[in-house]
Amino acid sequence: MDTMLSVENLSKSFKDKQVISGISFDVKKGEIMAILGPNGAGKSTTIRNIMGIMYPDEGSITFHNSKTIPRHKIGYLPEERGLYKNVKVMDILLYLADLKDYPLDKAKNRALAYLKKFDLEGKEKVSVEELSKGMGQKVQFIASILHEPELLILDEPFSGLDPVSQDLFKQEMKSLASNGTAILLSSHQMNLVEEMADRLFMMHRGQRVIYGKMDDVKQQYANFKCTIHGNNSRNDLANLPDVQRVEQDGDTTVLYLASEVQPTIWLRNLPEQLTIHELTIDRISLHEIFIDIATDKNLLKEGHKAHA
Amino acid sequence: MHNTLKVAKWEIKRNLKNKSFIIGLFLTPALFLFFALLPSLFGDSDDKPVVTQVYINDQLDIYGDLQATVDEHALNWDVHTTDISETEAANALDGQEDTAYIFVDHHALDDSMVPVYTSEEIDSFFTHDIQLLEEPLRAMQMKVAGLSDEQLALVNQGVTFDERIVDESTATEANNKSGESGLDPMERVVPAAFAGIILLSIVFTGMMVFQSASQEKKDKIAEIILSSLTPGELMQGKIIGYFILGIIQVVVFLVFIIPLAIWKTDIPIMEYLLVPELLLLVGLAILGYLLFASIFVALGATMADISTSGNFQGMVLMLPFLPFVFIGPVLNDPSGLFAQIGTYIPFTSSGVLMMRLAMLEDWPWIEIAIAYAILIISTWLFMKLAGKIFKVGILMYGKNATPKEIWKWIRA
Repeated sequence: MDTMLSVENLSKSFKDKQVISGISFDVKKGEIMAILGPNGAGKSTTIRNIMGIMYPDEGSITFHNSKTIPRHKIGYLPEERGLYKNVKVMDILLYLADLKDYPLDKAKNRALAYLKKFDLEGKEKVSVEELSKGMGQKVQFIASILHEPELLILDEPFSGLDPVSQDLFKQEMKSLASNGTAILLSSHQMNLVEEMADRLFMMHRGQRVIYGKMDDVKQQYANFKCTIHGNNSRNDLANLPDVQRVEQDGDTTVLYLASEVQPTIWLRNLPEQLTIHELTIDRISLHEIFIDIATDKNLLKEGHKAHA
Repeated sequence: MHNTLKVAKWEIKRNLKNKSFIIGLFLTPALFLFFALLPSLFGDSDDKPVVTQVYINDQLDIYGDLQATVDEHALNWDVHTTDISETEAANALDGQEDTAYIFVDHHALDDSMVPVYTSEEIDSFFTHDIQLLEEPLRAMQMKVAGLSDEQLALVNQGVTFDERIVDESTATEANNKSGESGLDPMERVVPAAFAGIILLSIVFTGMMVFQSASQEKKDKIAEIILSSLTPGELMQGKIIGYFILGIIQVVVFLVFIIPLAIWKTDIPIMEYLLVPELLLLVGLAILGYLLFASIFVALGATMADISTSGNFQGMVLMLPFLPFVFIGPVLNDPSGLFAQIGTYIPFTSSGVLMMRLAMLEDWPWIEIAIAYAILIISTWLFMKLAGKIFKVGILMYGKNATPKEIWKWIRA
């Protein structure tokens, strides 16, 4: 796959505070690349640097088909977003398409089609201020993809959307990616990202934590964990084979297992005297990794160390 | 430039589709017309000529000649003789309207002075009309004086009418000033007024530039727009767009005003308006606009809402009205020190220079050139600064910038 955008060693600080420290990643044609991280991790700042709205202190941002920012080929949905209030939906869509030098008649047809697709049929002559927040978000999303961008940058596209609209957005992004659009997506809604992203870049406090293909990451970092409901002594459980860490909360114990564990064999070897009311075994989800990072529990580092 | 024009076009289109802009567009000239026509609507009843009662205390036996002069010029006077003394005249005039007492006695011959007492309300042409009585009085003077050199000189001195308006409280002395130059002052005023209308209109739309820039922040659309163009293009687009809106306002205004002015006055407006000097004045207006527009667009970018503006912003917003401070001194002495100071301060330069050029017959070309240079340089400078402030300010959400922060952006 062709690389559309490369970010290398990007660093940025506000006053004395280092917001981003030396992160690197790239976005390829036809993939959905997700930037994940808790609030204040530096996601939006990274994106603003890419968009040329801010300038990095160090590092470089390269668009592979052009020397400068190919503004007309980028679709951008910022985190802080809105639309002019006292104008009609179609007018603002055409204006934004016109700014991208996209032919107006084509833009108009596409706008009508997308409005229909997003359940906004007949709203093209409605003033923006009459739209609900969700409708406004849809119009903003349409504006960002109307001019058939080669690179689509979406900063928290799902925030404030109901599940139905989230699904609509998700489907549209997937279909855009399968048609060759490179999508860079920032979010902290793990479940959505887990479902759709091809690759992910997780950052915390401006630094890279995980970077790679979604499947690899899951395999590499998401070890099995076993949750047991029942009154057992912590020591008994900690001494079980392949248990890296134990978290106990009342009668619920979570055992984090080593990465090479074979669940079936491990289960067979459980001692008979354990009290088990309920037992689940599953992989650590992206969500848990995320929470883990955000709350500095370092579970991941242990897992990573064990793996390394 | 390509993107700049797109932004300009958008701003124009957006406003022309906006009801409140359209209403404002026609309301201003409509209000102007209303107030211009108001006096004449009320004035109709007063149009009937009022007869002025003129009492003459004649001690020189000249009443017949005076009466003849009044008839000859068809003055709207009702002339009577009276024996009332000068001291009693004031009391007699108390509470009267359109009444005058003229005392023709030996003073008229010896000192060429004729005391005239008028009521507080008197026909505005009375002062002019009374001069016509000079003729018979001079004839009398000459008749009495004989031919000696001394007396001829006295005759040449002419007769001065000492007119006094009798007020309820005090009797003030009015001086009859004569001596207007040959040049019609309107010849200068018309182009300057035209340029003044342009400046005022586009300064008001300049205020809209401010609105528009802060709206950009309030609606949080700035980042979406800036993904397609540079902050500089956005800023210039706004300035140009609102400039054209200002011109549209001027055109609408003139469409109302010029026909009215031609109908109501005798001033040959088109003839006076279409002179080369107009270009210079319009140039002043445009430079003035660009200066204020760039200040306003930058200011708008530093705040999300005018209602939360700090003192600093409020003061900057008042800058376009600074020329009004100079109106008094400039009208008093168009070439004076204050007028010159006003000419050289960038914020007042356009307005003050326009006022001066409207009043001065000989234009101070060197001062005009210096003022133009100051305006051009400061406009350029402020546009640069505005660009810097706009770039950072437009993306700052949620709070207004402090002067300290703005200073930091400028130095960055």
